[in-house]
Amino acid sequence: MKNNVGKKLIGTLAIPVIVAAVLWGLCAANGRSMIANRTSFNYFVIYTAIVMITTMALSINLNSGRFDFSLGAMAVLASVLSSKITYSILGGGAGSAPLMLALNVVVGALIGLASGGLYVLLRIPPIITSLGVTLIYEGVSFTITGGKYVMTEVRSASLSAFAGNWYWPLSIIVVVLAVIVILFDHTKFGYDYKALQNGQKVAVNTGIREVPNALACYAICGALMGIVGFLNMSRSSNINGGSLSFGSIGIMFTAFLPMFIGGYIGRFSNEKLGFLLAAVCMSMLNSTFAVFSNQISASAQSIINAVLLVVFLIYLNNEGLLRKLLSPRKN
Amino acid sequence: MDKNDKLAVSYRRRQTLITVLPFLALAGLFGALCAIVTAKGYRLDMYLKIVFNEGVVLAIVATGAVFIYTLGSFDISLGASTLFSATLGVLTYNATESLPLMLLVIFAVAVGCSLFSSVLASVFHIPVFVTTVAMMSVLSAVAAQLITTYGGALGGISIPSEVVKPLDKPLFKIIVLVVFSALCIFVFNYTKIGRRQKFLGGNPVCAQLTGISLNKYAIIAFVMAGLGVGIGAFLTLVYTPSVTTTTAGSIGMNIIVAIVFGGMPISGGARSRIYAALVGGFSYILLNNILMLLVDSNAGYGISQIISAVFFLVVVFVTGINYRTQILPR
Amino acid sequence: MKKSLSKLFALVLAVAMVASLGAMAYADDTVKIGVLVSDVSGEEALGFRAYYEDYIAANYDVTFTYTDQLEDAAAEKSAIEKFAAQGYDAILSLSSSDRVTQIETAIENELYYAVVSGMLEDEQFEQFKTSEYFVGQIGPSMDTEYEAGVAMGEYYAGQGVKNVAIYGAFIPNPMHVYRAAGLLAGLGCTYGGAAEKDAIVGQIFGDQGVDPSKIEGDIQVVAYLQGFGDTTFDELNGAISQGPDAFLSVGMATTFFADALNGAQIPYGDIDSFTSGNAANMSDGTLTYIAGKYSSSVGPIFAATLDAVNGNPIRDAEGNAISISQSYLVATDSETFDTIFNGDKGDSPIFSKDVLDAVIGEGIAYDDLVALVESN
Repeated sequence: MKNNVGKKLIGTLAIPVIVAAVLWGLCAANGRSMIANRTSFNYFVIYTAIVMITTMALSINLNSGRFDFSLGAMAVLASVLSSKITYSILGGGAGSAPLMLALNVVVGALIGLASGGLYVLLRIPPIITSLGVTLIYEGVSFTITGGKYVMTEVRSASLSAFAGNWYWPLSIIVVVLAVIVILFDHTKFGYDYKALQNGQKVAVNTGIREVPNALACYAICGALMGIVGFLNMSRSSNINGGSLSFGSIGIMFTAFLPMFIGGYIGRFSNEKLGFLLAAVCMSMLNSTFAVFSNQISASAQSIINAVLLVVFLIYLNNEGLLRKLLSPRKN
Repeated sequence: MDKNDKLAVSYRRRQTLITVLPFLALAGLFGALCAIVTAKGYRLDMYLKIVFNEGVVLAIVATGAVFIYTLGSFDISLGASTLFSATLGVLTYNATESLPLMLLVIFAVAVGCSLFSSVLASVFHIPVFVTTVAMMSVLSAVAAQLITTYGGALGGISIPSEVVKPLDKPLFKIIVLVVFSALCIFVFNYTKIGRRQKFLGGNPVCAQLTGISLNKYAIIAFVMAGLGVGIGAFLTLVYTPSVTTTTAGSIGMNIIVAIVFGGMPISGGARSRIYAALVGGFSYILLNNILMLLVDSNAGYGISQIISAVFFLVVVFVTGINYRTQILPR
Repeated sequence: MKKSLSKLFALVLAVAMVASLGAMAYADDTVKIGVLVSDVSGEEALGFRAYYEDYIAANYDVTFTYTDQLEDAAAEKSAIEKFAAQGYDAILSLSSSDRVTQIETAIENELYYAVVSGMLEDEQFEQFKTSEYFVGQIGPSMDTEYEAGVAMGEYYAGQGVKNVAIYGAFIPNPMHVYRAAGLLAGLGCTYGGAAEKDAIVGQIFGDQGVDPSKIEGDIQVVAYLQGFGDTTFDELNGAISQGPDAFLSVGMATTFFADALNGAQIPYGDIDSFTSGNAANMSDGTLTYIAGKYSSSVGPIFAATLDAVNGNPIRDAEGNAISISQSYLVATDSETFDTIFNGDKGDSPIFSKDVLDAVIGEGIAYDDLVALVESN
C-alpha cells in the first residue's frame, strides 16, 4: 500500500519536479531568476490558469472524439461581448472585473451551448461543425469590433487590480479545478460522460442520454473558454477583434502538449490535477523563454515547443518498448 | 412494389442526389458568379480566369491530401509545407539560376516533409494529426526565418518574374491540373492503393487483420500529398514569383473545408472521393468571390465570413443526410 | 439527371453571355479607384479609409473600393485583376507583400497605380518610373523610417535619459528594423561597433532582432523586447523592473502596453498614430513622444492619381513618376498633439479640397506637388 502511494506520488510529481529543476537550474546557471518579482509571479499564475483551463476545454470534447477548432473564437467572442456589456453598465468603474468574469462565463457557456446545439441538430461530424462555428464566431467578433483592438471597454482599475494580485487567478484555478473534478468524477453527468467516452453505442443502448450530455460538455467548454478570454484580457488589457479565416485557432495548439503531459500524470493521480501540473510546467517554460527572450527568438520557441511535443509523444507511445530496451536482460 | 422496395428506391434516389449535390452546388455557384458578374457589368472572361487562378493551387494540394483524409487522418501542415517548399525553391533559384534545380528542390522538399511526417507517425506510433501540428510549427518558423533573413528590406524573397511568367497561362495550369488529377484518379480508383486506403479508413482493424499494412499505405498517402504540395508551391510561384511569411497561409485549413465541401466525409473510408477536393476547392473559391461581390464595407468582412460558414454547414448537412445515425457522429 | 445538369449549364452560360454583351455598353464617368490593404483594422489604416471614403468621395466624383485583408502576394495580384475586370481606373496600394508584381499586374491591365504612405526600394522605382501607368509614390521611405527613429532617440537623449528599454515591435518587419536602427543611432549608441545606417540595419536583419549585448554607448539599453506573444508581458515586466528612464517603441506600444506603462509611471515614446486613445495617454498617462502620420496625409497621392486618370499626369523633369518622401509629425506635449489631431478631422482635414485642388487639373508642375506635400 505504502509502495503504491509512493509510486503514485513519484509518478505525479516527477515531470513537474524535473522540469522545475532543469529550468531553474538553467536560469541560475546564467545568473538569472525564472520568476524575478511579484509581477512576474502574477503573470506566471495567470498563464498557468490560461493553459490549465484551455487544456481542460480541449480535452473534454477531444477525449470523446469531438475535435473543436472553435475554442479560441469562443474565448474572443465571449470577451468582446462581456467587455462591451460591462462597459455599458459600469463604464469601467468599480466592480468591472467581477462582472466581466461572470459575463464571460455566462456568455461563454451560451455560445458553447449554441455550438453544441448546432452539432446535435445537424448531426455532422463535430470537427466540421467546429470549422463552421469558428468562422461564424470570428465573423461575429469582427463585425462587432470592426476588426479593431478593443481597449477602452477592457481597461479598468478593477481589471488591473485583478491582474496585479496572484491570488485572484489562483482562486480561479482552485475553483475551476474543483468544479471540473466534481462534475466529471463525482456526478451522474460525469459517469455518463465517461461511459459515452469509452463505449458510445453501448452507453446509448443502456439508456444514457447522449444529447444532453454532449450539450453540457459544449456549454462547459464555452464557459471555460470564457474564463480564458477573461484571463487574456486581464493580462493584455485588450482584445484583438481582427481575427478572420481561422486566425483564432492557434490557442488550441498550445494545449496539446499539456494535454498529453496531463494525461500521463493522470495515470498516477487524477487527469485534471495532471492538467494543472502540466500547466505549471508550461508556465515555467514560458517564464524561462521570457528570461532568455533575447537569445531564443519566437521562431526558436515554437520549434522547441514542437520538438518537446513530438519527443514526449514518442516516449508516451513507445514506453513499453523503451522499458524493454532499457531493462537488464534476464538470461 | 412492397414497402422495402419503396424504401430502397427512395434511398437510392437520395444517394444519387447526394452524389450529384456537390456538382450541383459547383454548377449553381458558377452560374451565380457568372450572373452576378455580368449583371454588374464586369468582365466575365477575366473573372473566370481569376477564380481559376485562385482555386487551382487549393484544388491541387487538396486533391493530393485526399489520400491522407481517406485513411481517416488529417494533415494540418500542408500550407506550411507549401510555404517551406516555395521558400527553398526560391533560394535555390537565386543561388543557381536553374529552373530545373528549383523544381527539383521544391518537389524533393515537399515530398520529404510529407514523408518525414508519416515516418515519424508510423515508426514512433504518434497520432498523425499531432505530428503535423508539430511540423506546421517547425516549417513555418524555419521558412519565416529564411524569408526575413534573405528578404531584408523587401520583406520577402523572389525570383525574377520573367523566369516563370511564360508559364502563368491558364492552359499550362489546366494541363498540370488535369495530369495530376488523372494520376490521382488512376491511383485512387484503378489500383489497389485507393481501395485499400478506403478500407483502412473505413475499418482500420479489419483492414489490418486482412494483412493490409497501415504504415505502407500511410506513407503512399503522404507521398501523394507531398506531390500535390510540390505542384502547389510551384504554381504559387508561377502566379506570383515571390514568397513572404504569409504565403499559402490559408491553405492548411481551406483544404479541410474544400474536401468536405466536395462531399467527402472527413472520417475518410469508403465514401472518399478523389474529385471531392477539386469540386469542393473551386466551389469554396466561387462562394467567396460571390460574397465579395455582394457584400462590401469593413464590417462586411465579418459578415461574408459568416454567410460563407453557414453555406458550408448547409452543404455538409445536406450531403450527409443519408448517413445520419442514432448516435451522435464523432 | 445528366440531362438536367446539361440544361442547367446551358442556361447559365446563355444568361452569362447575354448579360456580358449587355454590360459592354455600361459606362460611368465616376473615377473608380481600388484600394489594396493588408491592414483592415489598424487605427492609421482606418483613418486613411475614413478620409478617402467620407471626405474625398464626398468632394470629388470618385469611388473607393477597399479589398479584403490581403495576406500575400497572390491575394494582391488577384485583387488588382478583379479591379481590372470591374473596369476600375486606378489602384492605390497600402499593401506591400510584393510591390513589383502589383505594379506589373496593374500595368498589364492598364490601371494607374500609386504607392500610398510608403515607398519602393530604389531599384524597384528605377524599374517602373518610366511607365505611364505608374503614378508614383508619396510616403515615408525607409530612410524616413530611419530618421523617425533617430528623431525619437535624439529627443530622449536630449532629455538626459541614462537608461532605456526598447520595444522592437515586429522586427524583422523592414519598417520596424529601420526605425530601431535609427533609434539606436539617435540615442548615440553603436550596434556591433557600427554607427552607420546600412551597417546597423544589415546586422538587425541578420540577428532577426536587436541583440542588447551588441549595443554600446553612454545611454544604457537595459531591456529589449519584440513581437507579441505569451512571453511578452513577462518581458515587459522584466523591462519595467529595470526601472528605465524611458520606454522607447518603434510601433504598437500604445496599443499593447499603454496601461502597464502608464501604471508604472514610466515615460514612453512610440511611432504610431494620432488617435483619441493616444491623446488620453499623453494628457493623463506617461506618453511623452509620439510620431505619426495624419489621416489626410494620403491626400496628395490621390490627387496625383486623379490627375493621371484624367489625362493630366504629373511627372518630374525627366518625365518620370512621382517620388516624394513624406515625414512623420511629432508631438511631445498634449497641446501639439491636439493641434495635429484636431486639425485633421472629418470635414476639415489638413489636405482639404481647397488645398488639393491646387494640384488637380491640367498643367500641374511636379514642383508644385512637392511644395504642397512638404508644406504640410
